[in-house]
Amino acid sequence: MQQYILRRVLLNLLVIFFVATLVFLLLRIDTDFVVTQRAQQTQITSPEATEQARDLVRNDLGLSGSIFEQYKTYLWNLAHLDLGESFQAKDDVLSEIGRRIGPSLELGLLQIMIALLVAVPIGVISAIRQDSAIDYILRFVSIALLGIPVFVLAVIVLLLSSRELGYTPPLTTYRDLVGFPPFGTDKPVDVWTNLQIMAMPAIIGGLGTGAIIMRFLRSQMLEVMRQDYVRTAWAKGLRERVVILRHSLKNAMIPVLTVVGLLLGTLVSANVILETIFVIPGIGLWVVNAIGQFDYPVIQGVVLVVATILVFTNLIVDITYAWLDPRIRYG
Amino acid sequence: MQAEDQQAQSAVLAAPAEWTLPKRPNVASNIWKFIRRKPLGAFGVLLVLVMLAMTLGTPKAEFGAPALPSRPLGFELGKPWLARYNAETIFREAETGRIAQYFNPSADHWLGTDRGGRDTYSRMVFAARRSLFIGIWALAFATIVGTTVGVLSAYFRGWFDTMTQRLMDSLQAFPALLILILLISLFNPDLTILALGLGFVGVTSVQRIVRGVVLSTREQPYVEAARVLGATDIRTMVFHILPNIMAPIIIIVSIGLGAVILAEAAISFIAPQRVPQDPSWGIMLSVTRQFLPPDPEGYHTLAAGGAIVFAVLGFNLAGDALRDVLDPRLRVG
Repeated sequence: MQQYILRRVLLNLLVIFFVATLVFLLLRIDTDFVVTQRAQQTQITSPEATEQARDLVRNDLGLSGSIFEQYKTYLWNLAHLDLGESFQAKDDVLSEIGRRIGPSLELGLLQIMIALLVAVPIGVISAIRQDSAIDYILRFVSIALLGIPVFVLAVIVLLLSSRELGYTPPLTTYRDLVGFPPFGTDKPVDVWTNLQIMAMPAIIGGLGTGAIIMRFLRSQMLEVMRQDYVRTAWAKGLRERVVILRHSLKNAMIPVLTVVGLLLGTLVSANVILETIFVIPGIGLWVVNAIGQFDYPVIQGVVLVVATILVFTNLIVDITYAWLDPRIRYG
Repeated sequence: MQAEDQQAQSAVLAAPAEWTLPKRPNVASNIWKFIRRKPLGAFGVLLVLVMLAMTLGTPKAEFGAPALPSRPLGFELGKPWLARYNAETIFREAETGRIAQYFNPSADHWLGTDRGGRDTYSRMVFAARRSLFIGIWALAFATIVGTTVGVLSAYFRGWFDTMTQRLMDSLQAFPALLILILLISLFNPDLTILALGLGFVGVTSVQRIVRGVVLSTREQPYVEAARVLGATDIRTMVFHILPNIMAPIIIIVSIGLGAVILAEAAISFIAPQRVPQDPSWGIMLSVTRQFLPPDPEGYHTLAAGGAIVFAVLGFNLAGDALRDVLDPRLRVG
């Protein structure tokens, strides 16, 4: 097991190296475009001066020198956990990610909580009453939820609530959202405001995720309930509650938890759309703006951090899987 | 004894005239069976057919480079038959001559008009073409590349497999939506790039499924037999493995189409300025996202949102049903 973990960690490092290289190459496809755009902001018109301005900008942004030199510097800085400064605000990218990851994580976790709260009971009921009217209704609702894209649902919910109820979630910056020391300022967080901001996007996102989990759980439950040990449990005369919850659900949940774990890995990046619509100051909103301004260090940094979180979450999920289901052996 | 045997044999051979082979069920009864067994799937197929119908139009005689979406396969297509007006026709008020901005639905304009005085219903129909062709091109790219990578990776195994899979892992670790927005920001708005980008993102999941299937297929006796007979690696892969993994590939394509159409709409919604400006459900939704009926702008929102929902729903339902029919083992959630 230890060997397995060690091997996976090394492979993960390889994956992260690949990601770093790919994002570097992707961003170097067309640097001239950015340089020209920024040089134009200086409003210099004569040709020589323009060229000078472009050189200045290039130097400023670390885009001078051959691509190999740039790559070397990039990897060297990376090895020192230095993700550089953002072009626009001149913030240190790593600490800015630290500040902004709070809202993103909170939104993602709330979403998964809501998804589980909705999906587990519905999935179980739908499975134990298979092919009944309630099963069909629940399945249709879940399929409909899968079909409605999150941004369509969000737009409609936001509109209806503002028009009919006169309520919209308050807007804020991350400084009000995360007050606790490792992430932000020392200002105490207003929990009520925080929940108001998060509730609507979390429910909308959670319903979509919940539909996926529900369908998966239902098919798992149907499979588990045909197993011999469940028949034995029925034959022993155990109550339905015990058979369903303790014998079936517990075993059906194992693969479902894997799916949840994989969702956890995409937490930070999955909510770009919701963060944009609800203006939640998390990673997603930040990086979408950064892409608009071609802010390379921000894009590189966020992609790297997101990828790192993803691959290591996957590793943890695999290890947990072996712990939950002792039949699984990695070697 | 022998005579009896012969008698029995001839009795079998001379089958009575009323014995007939069971009739193969004809197409119509197959369709009927599908509708009865999978009503939701049939509904999905219906939605997909409606979307297909929206894209149909008179092919013009011109044949040129296959650019999206007016020249999907090299043929230039005219106005879709289902659209009532051209996508860019501007309507004006009869008395004043002003542009008919955000008119309520009427007999002339079934879903009203948009900001530029153009017919919303017709633009919605036009946009189906863009969605579908981006979907098909992206899926074609993802499937061809993904299948090649998946088959090679599973067939040769060893260090080649390990390296390929790590490379694929790293592609999968990319936040897909962000990379796509970045990609389209780097180039001029171009549907081909958008389609290829979407396909590129899809390669990883296609190859993962294909690889899993091939890993078990390559251990089958018929693959072993081919190898014993001296078939080359390429022959084994193309003529023995590939035909036997067609079912999962068809399923991937049908389910993937919905996902790609959704992704295209999402990108056009988030970054409407950065994508090509021909009619698109995502752009339409983003333009009037602050309105719902009874505002006159709201019908525009509903048209775009409804189109996205039904398209995605249709492909999901149809894909699900197809998977159940073709290969129930592939049920993943």
